This record gives sequence, structure tokens and C-alpha cells, in this order.
Amino acid sequence: MVKRHPVRKAILWGCITTISLAIMIAVGSRELAHFDAALVAYTFATLFATFGITYRYTMWLQRPPTAMYWKRGWQMFFKPQRLLTNMRNLFTRTSSDFAANRFIWKRGKLRWLAHWFIMWGCIVAVAITFPLVFGWLHFASVPGSLDSYRAYLFGFALFDFPVDSIFAFLMFHGLVWSSFAVIFGVMLAMWRRMRDHGAASVQQFVEDILPLILLFAISVTGVMLTASYTWMRGYAFDFIAILHAITVIFTLLYMPFGKFFHIFQRPAQLGATFYKDAGATSEQAHCRRCGEAYSSRMHVEDLISVQKQLGFRYEVAGEVEHYQWICPPCRRAMFVLAQTKQWQGNFGDQMFSSMHEQPAAPRFGNPVISEGPLGHEDQANLHF
Amino acid sequence: MPEAQYEFFIDPSRCIGCQSCVQACSECDTHKGQAMIHLEFVNRHYSTQTAPVVCMHCDSPTCAEVCPADAIKKTPDGVVQTARKPRCIACNNCVLACPFGVPKMNSGAELMMKCDMCYDRTSIGKAPMCASVCPSGALYYGTREQIEAQRPRSMPINQFQFGQQTISTKVHMMVPRTAQPEHIDVLSAMHDHTSGHDIFLMMHDE
Amino acid sequence: MAQLPRSELEMIAVFGPHLAHAQGQRLEAGVEPDRLVKTHCCFCGQQCGIQLKVKDNTVIGFEPWYDFPFNQGMLCPKGVKRYLQGAHPDRLLTALERDPASSGGFRPIGYDAAIQRVAGEIGRIQAQYGNSAFGILSGASLTTEKTYLMGKFARMCLKTPYIDYNGRLCMVSAGAANKKSFGIDRAANAWDDMLHTDVIWISGANVAECAPITTSYVWRARENGAKIIVVDPRITPIARTCDLYLPIKPGRDIALFNGILHLMIKHDWLDHEFINNHTVGFEAVAEHVADWTPKRTAEVTGIAEKGIQQAAEWWGTAKTSFMTHARGIEHHTHGVQNVLGAISLVLASGRIGRPNCGYATITGQANGQGGREHGQKCDQLPGWRDLANPEHRQHIANIWDMPVEEMPQPGVDAYEIFRKIETGEIKGLLSLCFNPKVSLPDSDYVSAMLDKLEFYTSIDFFLNDSARHADIVLPGSLQEEDEGTVTQAEGRVIKINQAIECPGEARQDWRIIQDIAQALGRSKGFTFDGPRAIFEELRRASKGGVADYSGISYEKIEAQNGVFWPCPSDDHPGTPRLFEPNSWNPVAKGAGPFYFPDGKARFNVAPYTPPAEDVDAEYPLMLTTGRVISHFLSGTQTRRIGPLVDQYAEPRIELHPQLAMRLNIQEGDWVTAQTRRGEITLRAQVVRTIRPDTIFVPYHWAGQKSINRLTIAAQDPISKIPEYKVCAVRLIKASQAPAYASQLEPQQ
Repeated sequence: MVKRHPVRKAILWGCITTISLAIMIAVGSRELAHFDAALVAYTFATLFATFGITYRYTMWLQRPPTAMYWKRGWQMFFKPQRLLTNMRNLFTRTSSDFAANRFIWKRGKLRWLAHWFIMWGCIVAVAITFPLVFGWLHFASVPGSLDSYRAYLFGFALFDFPVDSIFAFLMFHGLVWSSFAVIFGVMLAMWRRMRDHGAASVQQFVEDILPLILLFAISVTGVMLTASYTWMRGYAFDFIAILHAITVIFTLLYMPFGKFFHIFQRPAQLGATFYKDAGATSEQAHCRRCGEAYSSRMHVEDLISVQKQLGFRYEVAGEVEHYQWICPPCRRAMFVLAQTKQWQGNFGDQMFSSMHEQPAAPRFGNPVISEGPLGHEDQANLHF
Repeated sequence: MPEAQYEFFIDPSRCIGCQSCVQACSECDTHKGQAMIHLEFVNRHYSTQTAPVVCMHCDSPTCAEVCPADAIKKTPDGVVQTARKPRCIACNNCVLACPFGVPKMNSGAELMMKCDMCYDRTSIGKAPMCASVCPSGALYYGTREQIEAQRPRSMPINQFQFGQQTISTKVHMMVPRTAQPEHIDVLSAMHDHTSGHDIFLMMHDE
Repeated sequence: MAQLPRSELEMIAVFGPHLAHAQGQRLEAGVEPDRLVKTHCCFCGQQCGIQLKVKDNTVIGFEPWYDFPFNQGMLCPKGVKRYLQGAHPDRLLTALERDPASSGGFRPIGYDAAIQRVAGEIGRIQAQYGNSAFGILSGASLTTEKTYLMGKFARMCLKTPYIDYNGRLCMVSAGAANKKSFGIDRAANAWDDMLHTDVIWISGANVAECAPITTSYVWRARENGAKIIVVDPRITPIARTCDLYLPIKPGRDIALFNGILHLMIKHDWLDHEFINNHTVGFEAVAEHVADWTPKRTAEVTGIAEKGIQQAAEWWGTAKTSFMTHARGIEHHTHGVQNVLGAISLVLASGRIGRPNCGYATITGQANGQGGREHGQKCDQLPGWRDLANPEHRQHIANIWDMPVEEMPQPGVDAYEIFRKIETGEIKGLLSLCFNPKVSLPDSDYVSAMLDKLEFYTSIDFFLNDSARHADIVLPGSLQEEDEGTVTQAEGRVIKINQAIECPGEARQDWRIIQDIAQALGRSKGFTFDGPRAIFEELRRASKGGVADYSGISYEKIEAQNGVFWPCPSDDHPGTPRLFEPNSWNPVAKGAGPFYFPDGKARFNVAPYTPPAEDVDAEYPLMLTTGRVISHFLSGTQTRRIGPLVDQYAEPRIELHPQLAMRLNIQEGDWVTAQTRRGEITLRAQVVRTIRPDTIFVPYHWAGQKSINRLTIAAQDPISKIPEYKVCAVRLIKASQAPAYASQLEPQQ
């Protein structure tokens, strides 16, 4: 029933997460006792972003291919006989792909460096600011001691620390350090985008440049705030604070729509890998033209069902049943041979055909990886 | 919009398998060092026939439709791009679904990559690398007037049939003018190995 | 010298061939080149226009040159990746001296010391044994300026008769036959004349792999309705869809041409008016081909009679036609006869010297045309003058300002030079742009002769396989490090432009030659300050000759995108199509379009003789050799370019499944081919695209993978071209992989 009302479902989920967050804020800040009223604009922007992101995420999950992966990803993950391996893989993949961005390293060293700094800068900043804004985290002087602070999380006292300690300095300036990381990363990314001819041809302002500008603006205004109260006796502090708030709030509102949404989409990569792991050890699909294995049977069948849901009609009369049962190399060969047939009789060549002998799959002309398949999966794509 | 007049035409029957396209493809700035074009021997045992396959840039790309991550985008001028890097989750759906067998999967980079008609070049009015160098004219980039003048025996079509599905594409394929087919039925080649001369046909029996 | 200074494996470890792949600035998508240099490809005779991207004195890539008329931006894979030959780890940056104690067998020495040593040895050998004891081997990939200088260096500085060049292995059979038939040796037409012709006949030319850009002309002609006839023992890519494919036995081309002419006469598919007015000798040829009935032709050529009939009918009844051939019919002991047979078909049809009617050999090397015109051939002086002709000698002696009696008489061909090393007549050798150890037939003999020399010096940018035998190696220049002209396959003179400076102590070849002349104390005539100055002298030297360049200038080449010679004056636009009615030439002087005093072309009787080494019970198969698209000649350059090696890494033996089944050979098996000269073990490629009585092996590799260790050194009596394209061979399945398989990388 909900399936037929994707928008309604998305609104519903949006409301659930947004209200949940609101309740968390109320509870976590002890009925707003520790809530800083000056930050209320930030809070509302966050609540809006939460709604927007959940809405879009829910809509996204309802697209046939995404729904299929969502379902299959969890199924494969929780398969009892695979669970242990999956847990281990989850840990290694989280650390290598998410913490270290190994796959971005493979896409380009400069791209990796930029992304890694931006990502960790943002993670640190978010980890500091959101709990503060929501009133989940706050600091207070230790009663009876002038040179110690006490940290509270959700209103519970955590620990005390001296005001003039290095720890305190690092902690209270955490946003400065994260700003530096983001600024460095953004500058690298901008430099790459201005220089790389390939990137220049495909990039779009709203999708690729605006996010960098926003991150840069947030970081610079944030650092300026610190500079203003540390060295300039609060010169233009209010103005900068408003500027900073504008940039942050704009970014929060932009989150569900633009490039930053990939932060929420990206974890689907894990689902895809668990699906592929399971596929690799399960029954293979064999091409109905050349007979060679080219993918997992599960993947082919799932794709057939997804294509049907999307309205494609790749059904084929006869033993092939569905075009999806033909491997990619044979598709390329048939595509070309179908043209060859059109030209029969015009030139001197003839078709070598046989109803009995299975045609061989075509072979890549250039037998070396660097110019051929791009990795182990592509080898199946090319029957390498 | 002068560049809109330029179109991509392929005629695999002309291909000589020289691999200039493969070598030049890896010189393209959007995927430097890696060739996106496919060039395969259809069945070298029988003949030297080779199959050059570039992205056909479908009007309604199956690869983009089956992408769970919304990563495959078409530009306003109809060019289907390599997966957007932040989004692609390397699920391989597009590789398996493309009716022409075009996308490649770069496993290490967790990224689908494909022919983007040398977007760094075509978007500023230059011809794509493969069609620039192709010595046989199997890959050609030019205006419709040019191709019609140069190839009086051929006509371009862009409708391809896969079972019940018709796919129309931005890239055109050359077929005989005398045949005037409405579309090319790809499955018609299900039982064909390759084409060429049979050497025995013209050999003197001793 | 008795042997290589170090083992082959040790020399390879130091000097390569190693592979270069794109990296650094060549792989970055964001590098803005300092400049684009319009020039031409460094490889084959098509000489495609290309723009090189230059950054920090390095060629980092290419950009198509769409406006150059011949190729309009098209390139083959070699052209695409040629930029990787520069800044290569194997590049010779200093002169080298043979030193068995050093790793790799050579130690670097200063450039000046190396020049002194070379000059000293030349002086010593010439003083001790006479001027002719020192020989020179030159090449047809050099600019015309350099080839001119090499001829002058031999005749004027060294005064030795012994200079020849590697064009001897290329198209000299075509050259000789053209001279005999037309009185001039140049493609009769620009390729544009193919586009609207009725029939294109391609004999022994693997167009798709050896002259790839020509493919576009052939296919465009096909679109306009042309029939394509391909004659080849293999179904090459251009043959795959041709209209008529004739699977000829290697070495039987003249039989086919005679058989076709027989049918043309029988059916009166002749242009009598042309034959009567513009040719001589038809009757004798007609009488000779009377015996070449389709039945006999079929028996000799191995082609079915119906194929011969069909070809004759298409050729005979065509209104326009283009005949073209290449090494397939030229690399034979009767290569000249084969070409004469092809020319007879052209003359009998009368289809030459007018639009859409043409004839050409497809020249192989970069400057295969220009390199055979200006005096580096053993019997030739600039402007296609004859070294034996007193008038010609005097003309050149005047230009060079030397006493004519000091000018040596004609020498011998490149292979004969090695025989003269064996007899002890030649004691010292200088080679430039020539790798005889890989490219000459029966090459174990060639290696032994290189070792027999008292002194051998090689000029090259990499340590080529022959240079490993040298005493001194001089570091020469890459094509992109120098400027000059080249004459491509159509006869179009084009300009190579310098893109970068020579690295290290490497020098432009013309400087090296002049430095040697100076060190010899014979610098007179060798004080050019650059290629332009050489070209100016060449223009004067060629004036009035058949190959008249006197109206060509660097500026005119640039303005016209090339100038077709002959171009006898400044206001002359050049001559794309030869033999047009009423055209003037310096030999006929208006008597007719052909380059004989009567202005008429010559029919030549071309008798069939079997190959020098026919098959027998012991060696029952035919071995034929050739090229693959991703490599060029002896592979000195292309075997160092990673992506080209990726494309075709190692030689394979191509054989038909019928033969494979008989010998129990599967695809990929190790197979040994044996001839009377040597044996080779390579992997099998089992394909139905070759005659079952023939095997094919490409020749670009050295050492244990060099097929020229098996080919026969028999030569055409007229052109002296070796018979690469056929010899007797036997094949056996190898019991195990050869030792080299585990020791060498594919390209080594």
C-alpha cells in the first residue's frame, strides 16, 4: 500500500526522523536547560536538513534498482553462514574505504588527498558542533575550583580538566584545526578542478564548485571568529558570527539536494560489496550465446526483475528468454555482426554461421591490462 | 550551436582492428591512461574481423535507469557520462545491463567508467580521439552532410532492437542505403561466428 | 672482434629494450603544453601529419593535425604512441666505447674523444687498405638532407664506393621496374586518384597494417562503387571484406599478372590507342603471355581459375583503375619481374596519367621515396643521377667542387657489403639508421660479419641490436630533434619540424657526420650550418635531374602542405600526377609523357621463375614474413614503447588449422620452424586466414625471436632485394618452451 505512495512514505519517514531528533534535543539538553538560545537558527536548519535528507533517502530507496540492492544487501549481510565473514569484511572495508578512502586513492592521489582532508575536517567539526548546538555537550566550571572545567554529555558529568592544559587548548580549538584541514582540502580540490582538463569538461557549478565554496566559507568565517576574539578584541565579531551562521545554515539547507547527499548514499557501497561477495560464491550465469560464465545468476535474475519494473522489454522469444542472459562481450559481437549481416552481398565476405556450434565470445584485441580490463570484475566483462 | 551539427557515426564493417582508437582513447583527458573503447576480435580463428564499440549514448540509457545510486547522468547535449565519482557504488548493474556492452568496471577505484565521447574535446568543438585517428573511417565524427557526401552507399540509422525492446541512440550506425532497414535487430546475429572470406573458396585444387 | 663484449642477456639488462609507459606529465590531464609542433610521424612512408605536444623540452603527447591533406588527423597506433620514444630510459646520452669489463659491455666516453677515435680508425683503415676498405650503411628513415649528406660523405669525404642503404630491403624492386618501364621511380599518382576509380588492385600489400591510412582511401573508393581486388597468401584485414580475394602462393605474382594479361588480350580488353601511341614492346609481352592460360596460371599461382577469370574481367573492363602493390611482390628473387608484370597490366589498360587512373608502390619507410633519390644508393648521385654516367658525375663534381676523377665508381648493394667483409675487402663500417642484424636475411651470417670487422661504429639513439657489436657508438638524434624534408609514399615532399633539443651529448646526425669529416681533416664540403643549408645545395644538385627538387623550398612546403616532385622552378606548383598527356620532362623533352627520349613507356617481358628455394620433401612448407601494425621494421623504437608492445608482444607463427591438425598443434603451443639456415621456436596462432601450405612470422624481433635468422639471402639479380617473402621451411611441435621464454621479456 505504502509502495503505491512513495511520496507519502517519504514524508512519513521524514517526519519520524525529524521529530525523533527534536525529542533527542529536548531530552539531551535536559529540557533545553543547556540549550544555547543563540544557536536556535542552527537547530532549526538542522531539523530541516534532517527532514530533507530523510525524505530524499526514502524516495531514493524506493527506486527499483535501489530497493533491490537495499533488500539484497541486508539479506546477504545477515545470511547466517556469511555473517561472520561479513562482520570481518565490514570492519576492514569501513577502515580502508571510509577511514582511509583507499578507493579514492586508486582514482587519483591528488583527489584522495583533497577528499581525505575535507572529510576528516568535516567529521571532526560535526562531532564537535552538533552536540554543542543541541545542548548534548556542555562545559561548566567545577564548583569550588576556578581553574578546572567539567564536561557534561546529555547532562551527565563526564570528567574534569584544568583550564590551561594542553588538552583544553586542543579541545577548545578543535574547530580551528578542522577548519585548517577543510581549507587545505578545498584548495587542493579547487586547484585540481581548475587545472584538470577532464574535470573541467564535466564539472557543474552547483554540483561541484558550490559545495567547495560553501565549505571554504564556513571554515574561513569560523576561523575569523576565533581570530576576532583571540587577537582583535572581538572586532566585528557579531558581523562575522552572522556571516558564519548564514554559510552554515545555507549548507545545511543545501545538504539534501546537492553533492553532500553522497555522504548518506555512499554507505550503500557496503551493501553492494556484500551482494557481490555472495554472488561470487553462488551459482554463475552462463551466457546463452557463448556459454561462458559472466556474473552471478542472482544478479542477472535481479536485474531482469528490476528492468521489468522500470518498464524495459528486453524479453526475447525462444531459448534466450531475456537479453540479460547474453554476456556483455557477446552483446558487442552481436551488435557488430547484426550490422555485418545488413551488408551481406555488397562486398566479398560471407558469414560464418552455425546453428549447432556455439559461437566463441570475442576476445579483446589488446591483451594487456593497462589498456584493457580495468580490474578483476572487468575481466569477466571482457572474458579476459 | 555549431557543434550540435557534428555527430558520431560508426561503421564496424570498415574496421581493420588496428587499435589506433584504443591507443588514442587512453590519451583522452577525461580518463587519461585508460582506454574506454572496446575493440575485440569477433572470432580470430575464422577471420580478422574486429568489433569497435563506443558508447552509443542512448536517448533513454538503460545503464542510468538501473543505477541504484543515480550516478549516471546525461548531459543536455545527450552524452551519457561516466558514473559520477561521489555516487558510484561499483555495483556492476550498468555493466551487466547495457545492451551494447559498453561500461567498464574499475574495481580498485570502485567506479564504473565508460566512453563519454571525449567530453573534454566534443564539449569544446573538437572531434573525439578515436574518431580523429581511426584510419578506416569505422569511427567518424562529422556532419550529416559530410557523411552523406562521402558515403553514397551508406545511410545512418540509430534504432536497435533487442527482443521486444527498441533503443534509439545519439550515435549512428552505417547500413546500406539499398536495404533501408528501420532498425538493426541485434539478436539476429545469435548464431553467427564472424564474417570474412573462406580461403578455400578461391584456392586451386591440387 | 670475435663476439659481443658481454652476453646478450647482460647487454639487454643495461641497454634494453625496456618499455616506456606514459607517466608524470604524460599521464596528467592538467598539463598545458608549451607549444604544439606541426610535423610528421617518424615511422612509415605515409608520413601522416601530427602535432606534437611539447612541455619542458619533452614530447608529452600528440594532437591530431586535421588540416594536413593526406591523413586529416588520422593516425595508426604507432603514430599515437610515438611520443613515448623520447625521454626514454634506454636513450643513449653519451658516446659509448666497447669495454667487456663494463656492465652491458660498453662504457661512456666523451663525444669529442669518440669522434677522434672514429676518425682515427677510418684514417688508419683507409691508409692501410685503401679508401674502399671502409663502408657505409645508411637508411631511408633519415631526412632527405641527411641521405644527401651521407652520399656526399661517402663519395667526397671517404671516397669509398661502398655505401648503400636499407631501402635495399624495401622497395628497390619496384624502383628498378619503374625505371625500366616509365624511366622514373615515383608513385605515379597522389592517393586522391583512388577515390573515384572503378577497380583497385592490391597485390602483396597488407594495407591495413603496413600503410593503415591508405585504408581510408580504399574504403572511400568502395563507397563510390569501386571493386577491391586483393592478392595475398593471407586474408589480411583489408582483404577480409574485399570484393575479390585471390589467395596466391608466395612468390608466384608474375604468373598471375601474365595470366591476367593473357585474358585481357584474349578478350581484347586493351587500350590499343594508348598501347600504339605511348608504349613500346607490347608484341613481345603479348607473345610471352600467350602460354599463360588460366589453367596454367591456376596451377602455378594456386588460385582457382574462376578467381583469375573474375579478376581479369573486372580489371579488363574497368573504365578507371588504380594498381598498387608493396613488399609482398617486391621481396623476391624475381621482384623486379613481378613489378614489371603489374605495370604491364596498367600499360595494357592505358589507365595511367589521367584522373582516377593510377599506379603506385606503397613505400614502406618514412623517407623510402626521398631516401632513394639523392645519392645514398650504391650507384646513384643526387637528383636520381647515375654514378656511372660521366655527364652526371661532372655535374655533381661541379656542385661539390671536387675533381671528378676522385669520385668513386658505383659500389655494391647492402648485402654484398657483408660479403665483402667476408672476403676481407671491407675492414671498417659506419652505420646510421640501419639495424642489419635484425633486418637482413640469414642474419646469423650478418652478425658473424659484424664481428669480423676491424672497426665498426654505429650512430643511433638507442643501442640497436647491431650496435651491440660496435667499437664506438655515437649518440644520434630522434626524428623530433631535427628538421628536414621527407618525401612520402605519394611523392609529396613534406617538412619535419624540430620539436625539442637533443638531450645530453646526443647530436643531430648531420652534425656527427660533419664532425667526423672535420676530425679526418677533410671538412671541405661539410660545413653546413643546418638542414636548410644542405637542402639549398640539394636543390641545386638535383636541378635538371629526374628527381628535380630545385623549385621546392621549406616555405613552399609549408604553404602548400607539401610539394610533389618534380618541381623544376620556383613558380612550379609540383606534380601530383605523373605522365599526364602533353606533360614535359627533362628526358623526353616534350616527346611524350614518359621519361625516355621517345616519351613512350616500355613493356617488359617478365618470365616466371620459381622462388630461389622451392619446397621439397624435407622442407615442405613456405615461410613468408611481414609486419604487424604496432611495430616498425627492426623494432628498435616500437619494441621500447610499452603500449605498442602490449598490443603485439611477441612474434607468433601463423598457420592454418588444417596444417595444425596434421602436426597436432594447438593454438598457443610452442612450435619450431626450421630452414636450411636456422630454426626458431615461437607460439602458434592457428587461424583460417592463411594458405595451409604457408606459414607467416613477423620480423620485428631480435635474437632468438628473429625470423630473419631463417630467411634466405638470395637476391633479385637486378634490384638486389632479398627474398624475404618465401623460402622453404618445416614445422614441428616443440617438446618444451624455449630457454628465452623464461629469460627475456616479450619485447627483448
